[in-house]
Amino acid sequence: MATVTLKNVVKRFGSFEVVHGANIDIRDGEFIVFVGPSGCGKSTLLRMIAGLEDISGGEIAIGGKVVNDVEPADRGIAMVFQSYALYPHMSVEQNLSFGLRMTGNPKADTERRVKRAAEILRISELMDRRPKKLSGGQRQRVAIGRAIVREPQVFLFDEPLSNLDAELRVQMRVEISRLHKELGTTMIYVTHDQTEAMTLADRIVVLRGGHVEQIGKPLDLYDNPDNQFVAGFVGSPKMNFIKARVVGHEARGVVVELAGEEKTRIVQPLADAAPETGSKVIVGVRPEHFGLAGEGDADLPVAIDVVEHLGGTSFLYARTANGEDVVIQRDATRVPDTPGITVSIRKSYLFDEKGLRLR
Amino acid sequence: MSSLSSARLKRSIALHLFLTPLALIWLFPLWMMVVFSTMPDNGIFSPGIELLPHGNFVDNFNNLQRDTDFVGAIFISVCVAVTYTVLSVLLTSMAGWALARYQFFGKSAVVAIILGTITLPYAVVLIPQFIMVARDFQLANTWVALIVPPLFNSLGVLFMRQSFSMMPDDLFDAARVEGVKEWRIFVFVALPLARPMLAALCIILFLASWNNYLWPLLINSQPGSMTAPVALGTLIGLTKVSWGGIMAGAVMLTVPMLIVFVLLQRHFIAGIAAGAVK
Amino acid sequence: MRYRNATAYRFLTPYLLIFAIFWVWPIISSFMISFQATRTVPWRFAPGFNWGRLIGDPAFFNALKNTLLILVIQVPVMIALAMVMAVLLNSPLLKARGLYRFAFFAPVVVGEVAYSAVFRLMFSLDFGIVNKLLNSIGLPKIDWFSNVTPAMALIMIAVTWRWAGYNAIILLAGMQSIPEDVYEAATLDRVSKLKQFFYITLPLLKPVIVFCAVLSIIGTMQLFTEPFLITERGGPGGGTETLGLLLYRQGFRSLNFGYASAVAYTMAALAIAITLVQLWLTREPK
Repeated sequence: MATVTLKNVVKRFGSFEVVHGANIDIRDGEFIVFVGPSGCGKSTLLRMIAGLEDISGGEIAIGGKVVNDVEPADRGIAMVFQSYALYPHMSVEQNLSFGLRMTGNPKADTERRVKRAAEILRISELMDRRPKKLSGGQRQRVAIGRAIVREPQVFLFDEPLSNLDAELRVQMRVEISRLHKELGTTMIYVTHDQTEAMTLADRIVVLRGGHVEQIGKPLDLYDNPDNQFVAGFVGSPKMNFIKARVVGHEARGVVVELAGEEKTRIVQPLADAAPETGSKVIVGVRPEHFGLAGEGDADLPVAIDVVEHLGGTSFLYARTANGEDVVIQRDATRVPDTPGITVSIRKSYLFDEKGLRLR
Repeated sequence: MSSLSSARLKRSIALHLFLTPLALIWLFPLWMMVVFSTMPDNGIFSPGIELLPHGNFVDNFNNLQRDTDFVGAIFISVCVAVTYTVLSVLLTSMAGWALARYQFFGKSAVVAIILGTITLPYAVVLIPQFIMVARDFQLANTWVALIVPPLFNSLGVLFMRQSFSMMPDDLFDAARVEGVKEWRIFVFVALPLARPMLAALCIILFLASWNNYLWPLLINSQPGSMTAPVALGTLIGLTKVSWGGIMAGAVMLTVPMLIVFVLLQRHFIAGIAAGAVK
Repeated sequence: MRYRNATAYRFLTPYLLIFAIFWVWPIISSFMISFQATRTVPWRFAPGFNWGRLIGDPAFFNALKNTLLILVIQVPVMIALAMVMAVLLNSPLLKARGLYRFAFFAPVVVGEVAYSAVFRLMFSLDFGIVNKLLNSIGLPKIDWFSNVTPAMALIMIAVTWRWAGYNAIILLAGMQSIPEDVYEAATLDRVSKLKQFFYITLPLLKPVIVFCAVLSIIGTMQLFTEPFLITERGGPGGGTETLGLLLYRQGFRSLNFGYASAVAYTMAALAIAITLVQLWLTREPK
């Protein structure tokens, strides 16, 4: 088990910089998830930790030791790949033991480790099969087993569930969570799926365009996003963003008016300096933060396009008078079948024009 | 679908009516090779039209063996082709692996040079190669002379590079993370996965060596060191020679390759097609 | 990918070593030899000696003319034929595809010596099966070996027979790599099969066709075995002598390495010019 520290880590491909100075402190035994849209640099970051990519600038330390020039094998890490990367010409057992056999590990010890990994992952009865004869979930287990066999200080997962169907994905998610509890090892997990991030992580690192946008516990990111990107990325369905304008200042806070909705004004208390009157801002409202008319800070009339009934809840796809799309989450029993309704905004977030959170 | 529509049927008949004579013309020389090899010389040089095999193959072969030591030449050809194939597969797959899987200084230059040699006529290197091997190394009429100089081939390397780079990166990264040394990754992961491509490469290389004519003709011209095609070539154009025997030799050079071709057609075609479809 | 210079070169060294010894050095050496008088002992440097002789040598121009003539006629005919073979072999209407494939592809495995011998026998004046067949349908015999035109034709027929299938394999693979749905879309748009060939297959296949053409040109340019064995050392009277044969005659019969090297470099220059044309033909549209 070990800490992992990234200090000003930069990655360049030629003159093209893809990671711009990442600083991340990962604690011993922590389950940390790198999340972000494709191309955000999360996989590159993971591969740099693994030693599969050169580090163009900055430092990566594992267990307090700088590993920039250390070969992947000597970093005390094990990695699970998105494609599973099982050797197709070897049986499950050979797949699990390959690395140890090739590096001259004592035979008895190799057998012990393979047996233990197989038991943890319940794949003991599959040992003689070739990967081709395994289901997706079984392949995933073997891939994880191959990492366990290494008895690493840090586990690295590169989108391990994205090749599985939805049901299996949930199942394996729970399994990985259980594994983390059982082994207590530091785990770094890369995904583009915010649900996976929210459910698995002790802490989440949100990345975009090679920048770390925010690091925090899942619910902290949800409740208290630093910027519009994080706010929009965490939570499903996405947070609604509505254009607005500062129209005045009161003792309670800054007064903003939603674009095209003269009657919809929200007063937002701000600790920082409030933007000037007239400046453009963005109001963020989560789908579940809409209430019945009159229940919240301000009312908003919307025209309903589509209603999705999911049973327990329903989603209303609607438009404001200004033509902005909003998604509203409601209890199934309380969905009106009128073409237009007025909802209230119970809770909202304010962002400046650049997308930075105003608070 | 119940049956071909009449338009399709007509098209199909036209297709076969055109292609069948063409195919027969194309098979004709091979067929005649077999027919000639079974005819006595006075049959070959008679005014009648003979299109069916006779029973004279063994006599013809004995005549051939009288004219030149063809069995010995075949033995040399087999040994040389096998050795050449093994060495060349090793060399080209190693180079192809490096070009497919590593980032290194000078890579684009190496690739450019290899690509450049595809279109460079062999004639340019022929004379100095001959001078070097025959005069400087004193290796004329040895197996080494037959095997080593042709070891450089560019299409094979490009083929293997292509094969290796189509394999998923993760597979090799997984082994790397596990601490497996690069040459072990090559031997125990990459090569087993490349088996079909290696088969294709082996066939092409073996065939190239088996049929090679110009270089062996120049460098191993002593009787007793000639390869089979060269030995056979020396007989063509001689006045007192058994043509039935030459044809028997031609059949012995060709038929084994045809059988291999039929058995391994898929690999064969893959090996040849690899040159162009990148 | 990480930079791994040492590892990469460890894998490359054996190959590059062979390349350096048996290609790089000869390429340079050949160039230098072409500027030396090699019939004297020791060789002496005489820049104009071989090249001067080359531009005034009727034998060279004869070989050049023959080589170019074969190139210009045989290569286009063969590529067209290979194209026809590939298209027809690719037809879904074809039955017993394996048999046809065998017929056209089999010559690929036949060695030059073996097939040269067969062609010599088949085309011989009085006893050759070809003349016998011509006779039997009332056509006159052709003296394939004593007259220049039939002899050239024979060389071209032989080379075409040997290599058309080879090119058909490459073209067929190229065709099969064109996605099926392109044709399905065209069929739904009521584009005829013939138009599909001209407006879809040909343009998409252009790089492959050019590749085939260049390989064939380079191969034909070095043509040696066929005129050496079939038409007996470029006969009749040099009528089928090619550059390859001239090089062989000068270099290895007369042991005039300097002059032969000059011939070799002429071939290289031609090849480079053709390669440049290929690059120009297959350049990416802007």
